[in-house]
Amino acid sequence: MKILSMSGFVPEEICDTVRFSGYTGERNITHFCGYANDFISQVMLDDSIDGAIFPRSCDSTRIIPSYLKGSSKFQYQLKVPARSDDYAIEYFAMQLKQLRVAIEEYYHEELGDISNRIEMVNCRNEIIGSYYEKLDRISYKDYIDAIHEELSVALHESKHDELNRIEVTNPTYKHRVYLIGSFLANTDIIRKIEGCGLKIVGDNLPESGRIQNSIVESFDEDVYAAISRKVLSRRLSPTQNNFSKIISFDVNEMCKLHAEGVIFVSQKYCEPYDYLYSVYKKKLDELHIPVLHLSLSNSEDLSKAKLMIEAFADTL
Amino acid sequence: MAQTIGKIQTRLMREYYKYFSKYAKGKTPESKVAWVTSFVPVEILEAMDILYYYPESYAAVIAASEREQELLAESERQFLTTDCCSYSCCIEGCVSLEDGPRGKLPKPDILIATNNQCNTLPAWWNILAERYNVPLVILDYPGEDMEKEIAYRYVKSQHDDLISELEKLTESKFEPEKLANVISNSERSVKAWQNVILNLRTKDIKPTMLFDDINYLITARCKEQTAELYDMMASELSQKEEITDGKIPVFWIGYPLWYHQDRFFSEIMYDYRIVGSNYITWWNLDYSGNNSSEKLFNAYNYTFLNLSQKTRNARLSKLIKESGAKCAISLRNKSCKCDFVSAKDISIPKSEIEIDMIDRSFLDIEKATGVLELLKTTIH
Repeated sequence: MKILSMSGFVPEEICDTVRFSGYTGERNITHFCGYANDFISQVMLDDSIDGAIFPRSCDSTRIIPSYLKGSSKFQYQLKVPARSDDYAIEYFAMQLKQLRVAIEEYYHEELGDISNRIEMVNCRNEIIGSYYEKLDRISYKDYIDAIHEELSVALHESKHDELNRIEVTNPTYKHRVYLIGSFLANTDIIRKIEGCGLKIVGDNLPESGRIQNSIVESFDEDVYAAISRKVLSRRLSPTQNNFSKIISFDVNEMCKLHAEGVIFVSQKYCEPYDYLYSVYKKKLDELHIPVLHLSLSNSEDLSKAKLMIEAFADTL
Repeated sequence: MAQTIGKIQTRLMREYYKYFSKYAKGKTPESKVAWVTSFVPVEILEAMDILYYYPESYAAVIAASEREQELLAESERQFLTTDCCSYSCCIEGCVSLEDGPRGKLPKPDILIATNNQCNTLPAWWNILAERYNVPLVILDYPGEDMEKEIAYRYVKSQHDDLISELEKLTESKFEPEKLANVISNSERSVKAWQNVILNLRTKDIKPTMLFDDINYLITARCKEQTAELYDMMASELSQKEEITDGKIPVFWIGYPLWYHQDRFFSEIMYDYRIVGSNYITWWNLDYSGNNSSEKLFNAYNYTFLNLSQKTRNARLSKLIKESGAKCAISLRNKSCKCDFVSAKDISIPKSEIEIDMIDRSFLDIEKATGVLELLKTTIH
């Protein structure tokens, strides 16, 4: 079983998945998020992948099933609730139960003990949390690469080697910045940022700031409800429709971390982040916090980023 | 007869626009105001005497009034990229400049959006919520993949919560009987509209009229006069001559071009006649059920754009078959990803044309002409 998952809404507690991080795809769908386009390509073309789990959380992910229709691989779309209240938690828990049944039916394989997997995810996220707290003393590039490596292997196979190898090096830097965006498939951008003397001291990325210390606290209740509660209650994605809560949390954190600027990375045609940016930018302007917006064409795009980052660093 | 149709249309439109700044002359609404997306269960609002307005429809009016370019430019100045849905960009420009062909929309007391059409609308409503600092309600409709009983419970709980929220806002008690009456108005409007659009296939009518007149089903479906209006229109259209122009019958898949005076590129379609369109069926909501809760669930959980590709294919195939179309024009709309997959699996020859329903600069008319010429060669 090698299932490619897209987004942090696909809970690793149910079964092993490989987190999609980037792919050289065909990119032939116009006005469509390059990241989602590349995900479709990998599911269709990569023979080492035998299944896909993805959310319905934005317009690009919403129509993925239409493009995967010809594939005989396992496919499951999780309808991520547009809200985070108790009804939504109950509804999402139902979907997680259905997801498990669907996987077991397709692969003719019984999935293991969920509580055991919960503990493994908790442990991993706490380790990420421990490094997140010392971002100003480690290389952010090493940190994100280690997380991506961690997400690309099966949970039970992971010994957290990559994460544990991160060293506290107290790198020198000129300015402290805060990073905002969706899954950062292309970590070369970070190399450019750090190369310009900018230190990323905090972020709201789905693979970092949003999952660090995100744990299932107790699963005495229905285990699916517990996972659902965790996924829907942690730091929010813009697809969960509460921009004010996102901005208020992030701004508090960036002030606490003394961030001097913000780098906002989004995929072209990623509407949730485009809408969020329009509100975010105004808020940061009010607070006199400079912001650089990098809009990337796909999961590998780097064009123009270097020059823009250099220019931004000069303004700080 | 025509005059009576005109009178009802005028009355409905006058009622709808009376608090827009151009006509209100400083007068403020006597009721609470909601801004809603096109598939919000407005029957609940109507039953609670709340005024509701559709920014999407107003964006269409803006484009029809040739004002969209200046407002799209303003949207960019407000940091909202025009890669986003043009409805939202147009309105962002409009609310920022406090200007539009009919002035400003009345200020909202509450914002309500649904995801049974697309996921863009809730995101757009978030930026409106930031601007106006009023409560935002997002209604989440699971669609058909989720077990019906679970989906029903989830949707009903949200509708119940919406009612409680509106009771607080209006400081008045919700009356279930009133809702039942309003829903039957909507049912009648849908039925009457279905009779109107039946005529497109055989009668000498311009699709422009239907693209425009569906507006009453969108903005006034639960008003009593809407069914009356459509009944009159259906009766009038049925008496029209049968069409015998020998043009190629074509099915239009996608939005009308709101900026175009005919709502479609009539100048290059002289060999074609539009005999069907999926857009004009989107608000044919199915209010089946034993009580108001079930009716609203069925109507709003199973909207066309909230269906699976498989069900959409089946519905679209049926519509195309009934229309007698020999080919289709499928619009790849920059502003609507959810719609352009609708036409993926149709069985008649089709041509894809890239457009935006609001931004006229998107259409390459020469390219479209070539595409339509090519389409002709595939039809026997």
